[in-house]
Amino acid sequence: MLELFSYPPILRGFLVLMASGLSFPIAGVYLLRLNLLPLRFMLMHGALLGGAVALAFQLDPFFTTMLINLILVWFMMQAARGLKADAGNISIFIMVAAIGLAFTFISVFDVQAKDTLSLLWGSIFTISPLQTVGFVAISLFVILFQLLKRNQLKAVFFDSSIAYSSGVNERRIQYFVILLTALIVAVAMKLIGALLIDAVIILPALISSLHTKSMKSMIVWACIWGGIFSFSGFFIAYWLKIPTSSAIALIATLIFLIIFVQKKLKK
Amino acid sequence: MKHFVYICLIQHLTTVEKSLIVTQNNHEIFSSQSKWLYPLFELEDFIKAKQIEANNLFLTDKIAGKAAAYLIVRLGFKNIHIQLISEGAITVFNRFGVRFTYDELVPKIQCKTEDIVNGDEPVDAVWQMLRRRAGRVAGLIVDIRELSVEIDNKLVLNNLMLRIERGEHVFIKGLNGAGKTTLLKAILGLEKISSGSIQIGDYLVGSREWEKNRSIVGYVHQEMVKNTFPISAAEVVGIGFSAQKLSKAEKAHRLEISMRRTGCFHLANRSFHELSGGEKQRLNIARCLCQQARVMLFDEPTSFLDGSAKDELFDLLNEIWANEAPTAIIVSHDDQWIERFKWPVYELNEGKIC
Repeated sequence: MLELFSYPPILRGFLVLMASGLSFPIAGVYLLRLNLLPLRFMLMHGALLGGAVALAFQLDPFFTTMLINLILVWFMMQAARGLKADAGNISIFIMVAAIGLAFTFISVFDVQAKDTLSLLWGSIFTISPLQTVGFVAISLFVILFQLLKRNQLKAVFFDSSIAYSSGVNERRIQYFVILLTALIVAVAMKLIGALLIDAVIILPALISSLHTKSMKSMIVWACIWGGIFSFSGFFIAYWLKIPTSSAIALIATLIFLIIFVQKKLKK
Repeated sequence: MKHFVYICLIQHLTTVEKSLIVTQNNHEIFSSQSKWLYPLFELEDFIKAKQIEANNLFLTDKIAGKAAAYLIVRLGFKNIHIQLISEGAITVFNRFGVRFTYDELVPKIQCKTEDIVNGDEPVDAVWQMLRRRAGRVAGLIVDIRELSVEIDNKLVLNNLMLRIERGEHVFIKGLNGAGKTTLLKAILGLEKISSGSIQIGDYLVGSREWEKNRSIVGYVHQEMVKNTFPISAAEVVGIGFSAQKLSKAEKAHRLEISMRRTGCFHLANRSFHELSGGEKQRLNIARCLCQQARVMLFDEPTSFLDGSAKDELFDLLNEIWANEAPTAIIVSHDDQWIERFKWPVYELNEGKIC
């Protein structure tokens, strides 16, 4: 099986999967805590809009998508703060607006819809050497951010008014967390596909929240689960000849069920 | 501190000589050359640090008026000699059964505290008042001037005036919607001020200096934290220093001290969400201690506590006021609980303090 890694695209795919598996669940914890799960859908629709705009104006689809998604996230944060509304709810509104705009572009500029949809489905085996480096760099940045800002993050995630009274610049931390999370989701969507985002980012965080009692252990366990799912998912997918994302999702489901049954038995 | 060391005749009499001497079996164990009531406060620190019983010691003080008499009584001395004593001090010593001798009796010591202290107050109340006057409290002055706050075009606070001295503790009562929580949030800087000002110590709330130092105000809010995201008790307390640059050792030290002080060290590794209302409130206070807050704001701290938890909170708060002595503002409508404290109570009505 190890001869697989003699093929550079497979080796790069494995490296990217492991890097994302070990670090992106941190963003999953942020997504869960800040109730930003709908953000993924907004970013997917933002990707469609970005694809439509890029194809309409013959721009680079990857960077256009990234830029449009960051603009949408910025708008979401401004609206949420200005209206004192939940950012997750605002993101649903933006999601609908984005898809409306995307189809307007598709219609007006006669863009092929299937070309824009293809932007949603990435593959770990089509990642270039440069993208691999970028991917690993983002992974390291997320880990570093968590390590350096762990105390402030803990305060903001516990309660924003208490964080503020403790002297934390909670607004800045929240903005940065949302932007960082959006960046990770947007990059991951392009590189590893929409389904794998949930498998690599959300599921490990969700599972660790079921069995941990502190924020530190939740973050650490989310990364451990992410690493285990990615590693085992990669080889099980090869062995069973199924997509890696499916293998990871199935393993995560199995672990979820084991923890669920274990908790029930304890009660 | 400077405004308290004035007009005292004591300044004349205590120049270079020792103003206070404490002996144990005729052996001097403590002395001070300080002025006013400071030798007695220094002695308090000494006794606390050495963990010794004052009733076995002999104290010689140069001058004692009523204020000094109260401090000597509180320290637990039973045998003393005073060179210059006031009639008021004799009343206090007699009231509390202190055996004393003196060289010279005067009707009154020419010191402001001699006028302030009546001689029939509880010892702790006088001690706390004197500590505040001596600047030996962590608390800061909260000075609110002509404060108005508008929310959704409705005037919630209207030209409100309130001054709370350093280390002072007050309750604020009022009907629902009277603006009690808004007032606390304005003090925190969380609510935008329409006009007026709030000064906390040297900082004007909202100023750049304030932003850098706003952790001097600790906050325990009304509602329980609703999210059930995993967080341990120790992590909640540690939020207190989350914006402060401290060494790992200092963080561990502060965390342990704060949790031990509030009796919740044994809960450190428990999930915050599994704890009772009373335990959570202890953690909240530990968090404020960890933050080294010099002003503490409590919004309805008993709203989710049962009878015994309220008693525990009462004891804990009294202990903190007696030691760290931060300035405290407690918003509450729990009249029975408020009455137990015997603190000043202000009523907030139509956006003003009545």
